[in-house]
Order: sequence, then C-alpha cells, then structure tokens
Amino acid sequence: MANRTDPAAKSIRGTNPQNLVEKIVRSKIYQNTYWKEQCFGLTAETLVDKAMELDHIGGTYGGNRKPTPFMCLVMKMLQIQPEKDIVVEFIKNDDYKYVRILGAFYLRLTGTDIDVYRYLEPLYNDYRKLRQKSPDGNFSLTHVDEVIDELLTRDYSCDIALPRIKKRWTLESLGALDPRKSVLEDDFEEEEEKEENEQDGLEDEPAHERDYHRARSPARERERDRRHGSHRYRDRDYDKDRDYDRDRGRGRDRERDRERDRDRDRDRYRLRDEKEYGRERERDREREGRERDRRDKDRSRRRSRSRSRDRKRHARGSTSPRRHEPEDGSTWEETKKEKKEKKEKREKKEKKDDGTDHPDPEIAEANRIRASLGLKPLKL
Amino acid sequence: MIEVVLNDRLGKKVRVKCNDDDTIGDLKKLVAAQTGTRSDKIRIQKWYTVYKDHITLKDYEIHDGMGLELYYN
Repeated sequence: MANRTDPAAKSIRGTNPQNLVEKIVRSKIYQNTYWKEQCFGLTAETLVDKAMELDHIGGTYGGNRKPTPFMCLVMKMLQIQPEKDIVVEFIKNDDYKYVRILGAFYLRLTGTDIDVYRYLEPLYNDYRKLRQKSPDGNFSLTHVDEVIDELLTRDYSCDIALPRIKKRWTLESLGALDPRKSVLEDDFEEEEEKEENEQDGLEDEPAHERDYHRARSPARERERDRRHGSHRYRDRDYDKDRDYDRDRGRGRDRERDRERDRDRDRDRYRLRDEKEYGRERERDREREGRERDRRDKDRSRRRSRSRSRDRKRHARGSTSPRRHEPEDGSTWEETKKEKKEKKEKREKKEKKDDGTDHPDPEIAEANRIRASLGLKPLKL
Repeated sequence: MIEVVLNDRLGKKVRVKCNDDDTIGDLKKLVAAQTGTRSDKIRIQKWYTVYKDHITLKDYEIHDGMGLELYYN
C-alpha cells in the first residue's frame, strides 16, 4: 500500500507516526488530489522542492474538509520520517518561511520537549507574514511568531491535536533548559537604566507621582512593552511575562478566536439591552439612596445649616446634631440596611436573568452551560 | 425553547435544549459541551445537506423534537 509508513521509521510516542494525525483527517488526506498527484514517492530531498512551493498553511477547509497542501506535506514527513538534521535545516533556513513552519510543525509533533523549545523559540524573532487558510476556505493573515506561539502554548493547531509538552518553567526548574534570553534583553536593560537615571533627576516632583514611577503599574508596564517591541522574556518575573504572553496571544490571535469573542460580546450586549431598563431604574433608586446617605453624613460632620431640606428628621431630632448622636446614627444605619437589601434584591434579579435558578433542574443546568458558552438563556 | 435530538448512529445520541434563534454554530457548541467532542470537529447534516454554522435553526426550519445527523470531521 502506498500510504504505508517507511518500514525503517521509528515509532513515535509508542505508535506509528502517521497516527499523530487523527483518523478522519488522515483518510481525507489520502483521498486528496494533491496528495495523490504531488506527494507520491517523495523522498526527503524531493520533499524540499514541494515545501518551497507552499504558499499557505492551514488544516482542513470547505464543506467536505479538504486538507491543505501544507497538511499533506506534514503527513508525508510523518510517513517518510526524515532525519532530524534535515528537519533542523528546514527550521534554520531563512529564505522560505513556509518550509520553516513545516519543519517547526513536524518537530512539534515528533520532537522531544527540549528540542521543541530549543529549536522553536528562536523563531519568535521572525515576524514575516504568513497566509493561513481558515476552515471556511478564506485566507487570513498571520505571522511566523504567532504560529510558533500557537505551537508552543496551545494543544491544537491546523486540525491536529498536538502532543502534550511540558511547560517551559517545569523544564527550567528541572535544569533541562536554560532560561530564555530574548534578543531584546540588552536593549531593554539599557532603557531601564536610562529610566532610572531619569527618575533620579526628577526627585522634586510630588510624592504620589514618584510612587507612580516606582511602582510597576500595569499601564506603565504595558507602555514599556509597546516601546520595546513585541517580545520579551525576563527570568525575574517569568510568570508575569507568561501572562503577558497569553494576553498578547489573545490580542493578536487568530481570526477565529476574535470572531468567537465578538459573538459572545454581541450576545452579552443583546442581553444587557434587555436588562437595561430594569437595571437603570434600580440604579437610579440606589443613587438616590446614596445621595441621601452622603447628605446625612455631610450634615453631621459640618453641622450644615440647611434645615429646610431634612426638616422632618430635624424636627424629630435634637437641636445640635453631632456625629455620635444616636439618633443620627440610627438613620444612617437604616439607609445602610436599606441599601444592602436593595443590593441583595438586585443580585437575585441578576441571577434570574441568566436562568440558572429555574425550578426545573434540567433547564437550569442547560442555562448554566449556555452561560458558560456565552449564549443567551433559553426562552420558555 | 425547543429540543433537538442528534444521533451519530455509532452509539451517541444527545438531546439538546436550545432556542430556535440559536445558530448551528451555537448548537455545535452545546453538543460539544455535552459530548466532549470539539465543536469544530462536529458536522450536523440532514441527508446530504450539511448545515452551515452561521444560519439559525429557525431558518433551517428545525422544530421541537426533530432529529439531526451528527457526523465528525
């Protein structure tokens, strides 16, 4: 059979390397014309020519899930299992970005954790554009570093479930991997020094401003990140960087994610519109309460002279309202209690809005699932 | 609210509660939440019509209690 794995191939993760691609996708590849016409009888050398002709990446697309040529070549590599040197050459070459991605993808599927990090992380500095075919058959724009980020941090890419690899910090704490050094590190330290000098010069500015400079406020961090280009790792607060990384991933993430987010947002807005009226009234009422509250406090503190406004309470109370007066305190307490009650009521109402407290447990459960997926509750 | 039944004829048959203005994409997400299969690996069809993600159940005239075919890709 033509789709047999090379008999000399080593098994990867305890199985035939071709099994890394799911059965359905695999059979789709075997049926594909590109596979049959172009990939027949390829060897490690002739595969390079085909890889150089690639002009987009992606998994499967269209109504009947046709695999992209990229996918076919990944499959072919799994079949013939080229030597590691060849794969590394694929990754190291600077001229053909799709060859590079192909090599990176293959290494991510078959390589050891340490190799994956060692060879893929330098590609974070490659900002070239890539064309990516989305499942609906449209093309979208992405970048080499984004794809590498996806390979290193996600467990699913191009319709293939990627094998799990250990987290970077695990390998670091085991001592198997050195902390990552960003190419921007020197640049960054220089900048930081400069900033420190600036701060020394600005000793006479107001205290809170100085604090602002000293403290690593998120806004400032972000600003600095922006100035320093996109990627940066520091071993000092690695965790924070990881967060930042993830954020960034989300920010510049693939179109699909954004689409999903937008959908969710839209749903939420729609929901909010429905809620808006009731909420508005509630809020108004609450604001009124707070206003009264504040007025009370104010009056007791400054012994306000405007009696006309709260004549009732004054008539009830003594002539000189002081702060610790029991009467005044009690009214304050009262409003506080009132507010609390209102808050509770509002919470209850909000709960009702997403339908999770429905008397029928099945519907409540369904609504809980819907809420977690960002969908509107069921209409009854 | 309507309830649709999705059957893959391989041993998985799920009943899903949904609104009739949910899209097929939403339905897939709900099925994914119940079965554990990724939503983008699910294909819903009826005979040879593959249902598209952005169209609502109402527009496909899917009614309460209707059965759909569940395929994977």
